Amino acid sequence: MGLLYGLIAVGLALIFGLMDVTNFAHGEFLMIAMYLSFFLFAFFAIDPLLSAPLVAAAMFVFGAVVYLLIVRFAMRAKTNAGMVQIFTTFGLAIVMRGLAQFFFTPDYRSIPQSWLGGKTISFAGIFLPEPQLVGALVSIAAFAGLYFFIHRTDFGRALEATREDPGAVALVGIDKNRVFAFGWGLGAGLVGLAGAIMAVFFYIYPDVGASFALIAYVTVALGGFGSVFGAFAGGIIVGLVEAVTALMLPPSLKSVGIYAVYLLVVFIRPRGLFGSM
Amino acid sequence: MTISRRDVLLGATATAALVPLAARAQTSEVVIGVIYPFSGGSAQQGVDAQKAYETALEVINKDTDFDLPLAKGEGLPGLGGAKVRLVFADHQADPQKGRAEAERLITQEKVSAIIGTYQSAVAVTVSQICERYQIPFVSADNSSPSLHRRGLKYYFRAAPHDEMYSAAMFDFFDALKKKGTKIETLALFHEDTIFGTDSGNAQAKIAGERGYKIVSDIKYRANSPSLSAEVQQLKTANADVLMPSSYTTDGILLVKTMAELGYKPNAIVAQDAGFSEKALYDAVGDKLEGVISRGTFSLDLAQKRPMVGKINEMFKARSGKDFNDLTSRQFMGLIILADAISRAKSTDGEKIRDALAATDIPGEQTIMPWKRVKFDEMGQNNDADPVLLQYVGGKFVTIFPPQAAIAEAIWPMK
Amino acid sequence: MDKNFAARRRRDLIVAGALATLAALAPLFVKDVYVQNILILTLMYAALSQSWNILSGYCGQISLGHALYFGIGAYTTELLFTKFGVLPWFGMLAGGGIAALIAMGLGYPFFRLRGHYFVIATIVIAEIGLLLFQNWEWAGAAMGITIPVRGDSWLKFQFLRSKLPYFYFALGLCCLAWFVTWWLEDSKWGFWWRAVKDNPEAAESLGVVVFNSKMGAAAVSAFLVAVGGAFYAQFLAYIDPESVMGFQFSLLMALPAVLGGIGTLWGPVLGAAILIPMTELTRSYIGGSGRGVDLIVYGALIVAISLALPQGLVSLFSRAKAKNQVKNQVKGATR
Repeated sequence: MGLLYGLIAVGLALIFGLMDVTNFAHGEFLMIAMYLSFFLFAFFAIDPLLSAPLVAAAMFVFGAVVYLLIVRFAMRAKTNAGMVQIFTTFGLAIVMRGLAQFFFTPDYRSIPQSWLGGKTISFAGIFLPEPQLVGALVSIAAFAGLYFFIHRTDFGRALEATREDPGAVALVGIDKNRVFAFGWGLGAGLVGLAGAIMAVFFYIYPDVGASFALIAYVTVALGGFGSVFGAFAGGIIVGLVEAVTALMLPPSLKSVGIYAVYLLVVFIRPRGLFGSM
Repeated sequence: MTISRRDVLLGATATAALVPLAARAQTSEVVIGVIYPFSGGSAQQGVDAQKAYETALEVINKDTDFDLPLAKGEGLPGLGGAKVRLVFADHQADPQKGRAEAERLITQEKVSAIIGTYQSAVAVTVSQICERYQIPFVSADNSSPSLHRRGLKYYFRAAPHDEMYSAAMFDFFDALKKKGTKIETLALFHEDTIFGTDSGNAQAKIAGERGYKIVSDIKYRANSPSLSAEVQQLKTANADVLMPSSYTTDGILLVKTMAELGYKPNAIVAQDAGFSEKALYDAVGDKLEGVISRGTFSLDLAQKRPMVGKINEMFKARSGKDFNDLTSRQFMGLIILADAISRAKSTDGEKIRDALAATDIPGEQTIMPWKRVKFDEMGQNNDADPVLLQYVGGKFVTIFPPQAAIAEAIWPMK
Repeated sequence: MDKNFAARRRRDLIVAGALATLAALAPLFVKDVYVQNILILTLMYAALSQSWNILSGYCGQISLGHALYFGIGAYTTELLFTKFGVLPWFGMLAGGGIAALIAMGLGYPFFRLRGHYFVIATIVIAEIGLLLFQNWEWAGAAMGITIPVRGDSWLKFQFLRSKLPYFYFALGLCCLAWFVTWWLEDSKWGFWWRAVKDNPEAAESLGVVVFNSKMGAAAVSAFLVAVGGAFYAQFLAYIDPESVMGFQFSLLMALPAVLGGIGTLWGPVLGAAILIPMTELTRSYIGGSGRGVDLIVYGALIVAISLALPQGLVSLFSRAKAKNQVKNQVKGATR
């Protein structure tokens, strides 16, 4: 489960952590991705596992468009840019929920049959559900890919440079908006992957994103902003802490363990475990 | 100092816009307020409820030949055939908003009564407001037992509450035990809002009284992103019966997680809610062959009472779904309320209250398997017998109590 | 003291007095309880947002966890009332005091955190509070607490149908929060906060005193919000964890200030006066459709205002006098 939290968080790690843009609509991005996956299944009978790249591609476009149409302007604010970002994306989240309810109806959906759904590998008494297993593998691949991308390609360096000093990069001919639109697209695309995997074993309705959003924020912050590896580690820690807390306390308090660990970590290391900013 | 004139103007225009409506309301129609969540996490229940009430409205306002109160003839006979009009309001599962909407419906829309609310927490505040304005509140589908024990005069509930439901489950266990089935240990699994907490408490209490052992009592956070740890505990406890009290979302996740972790209990006896929703069976029905849920409604009744089937068809035409445990209660709630208004021959809250208190409808004149509808001094109908239904071959069959059952329970489940 | 600065402050005070008087007269004209209900909520959120603004606007410590203090105020008051028969008036003060103490206890480790880390920490701490109350049997857990209403009583601060006492209490709270803000603007604390905002390096040299003043701001802010929570509990006569500690309260406290103008004297009031009626009216008149149109309208408006007026609606008023004010502020800060 921890790796799945990581998978949901990886897109946020890019947008929130690397570009330093607050995105309160992250859960809603996930919701849209899950719906896409559901509709591809319902109308074209494409298994979520196959449609994952499609969903990711669609979400890439969606993320880039959202950036160009809305977030770009939120970043232009000269004063209290943080608040403007928080509330612009928060308003966006509400609109997305409303639109989802309008077009998709509030009915609970779920994908009844899929290649992975409900299958389990049992190994020496330990059960490993296949969707989670695939999710974990995809998660590791996504993190490795993003890590490579940020640290080994020109674009990754451009992204980092743009965040640190937009004025300077403009001088060397990098268009800030293009870089960030690409970054948002990538972030949303990663959420798309997560959504497609989640759709296999989770229910889907307009408010579904809310359950995951806070966990994703905590995951990214726990690992530290600006660190891809941090978000990965954060996901694993969150998953482990949740499992351990559920054994020691009443399960309804299991999130308390996650939150407490976050507070403990940032009190000791105010920049998260591997944060650089 | 915060009230700009703009506010006052806004408010004033809003009121002005409503005055004609309210004035019209008093002449030839009776207005009833319907408060549900129409947006947010449980919007689906609100939308389904709206369809159920519209179906009931059709039965009341149009001439139909069902053996239900008010079905024959148009409108309310006691008020010279006055038509019933419904005003829907959205409470977004927030007690404060429920309260504000109740007050708006009473003072602006001049409703004669209010019906609602799905969430029990909202029912608490809505019924308080109704009490203050002396307007009857019919709790159509709230099942929390604490609701009718607050000494309210204007509170009415025709359907059973969770203690009655839980008692029926244990009656069923006792009956099975007499036939030699082994049922000793139970696992409770309930969510942490009012519904789950109340239900879990009721089940734990009755289990203690009747000598069943609770090997696992898990309270979980509603809408959790994961239930793996919880299911792992259930699996370790491996009780004879698993008793979940969950809404649809958690219900789906629970069943999926159980399948993934390879947990197959001997039997599941569910406290309705999610386990009577079509969405849940659409999602994971294949894994639920033989699950038992309590309920107040069963389509099997259509075999004995053909009108149940016909009314179900009317509802299906609107919503694309069969009546379930919630929508049937909502339908019946409005019929009972409208019947009382007709007998009161008045739209005055106090007179309607007295008429409601005097309600005595035989079970045959409902679409429910109830003995009758008659409220005690707390406004609770104690003759609303719950039934237990088993999900077999893609539909529900009634298995308990014996007088309503059409099949023997399959135990253990497949 | 600068003359212009003093003049502006005098003018603010006069405007506030006039508005408060007007507001106090409003119930003479507004008899409809639904509209009164909206007015009360507007005043309450204006007060809450004003209190939130002290810490998050003026000090720049953006908290999205103030629901914790709101809930503590509500729960302290009602637990004391229903379990020990303590009158809500005392419970209110007790709740405020407890909230202020907690805010200071949390402030010590929290103020070391910066930016997103701080924001997330505040969200998380409020969630922990919510979960603890949700599981605390003695405090009613998920069942919440129903406050028995026996009739009109000023002593118990409960009224069956009349909204006026609630209205005047909310108005009073709003005035108090405004006045505290007004007073802080010209205090030593206000001076430090401005200095720190204008010049982050100054923060280093001022270190300890600024830290202490932030603790003070957190305590004042939490106290006022907790009193608001106690008021809400009395007004609703029923509380459960979800409905007084939910995340939406944290957001609803911040939204008016942000829309109106964060870190300004008039922002929260202005924001609440527009936002709350809008929320209520969209829900009441287009929310019954079950299609989410109210959400779309509400969300789109928030996006539009945040994008079009990043400094809040207040900037509409001040644009004309912008030059003047900048000068004033600089002088005020360097006085």
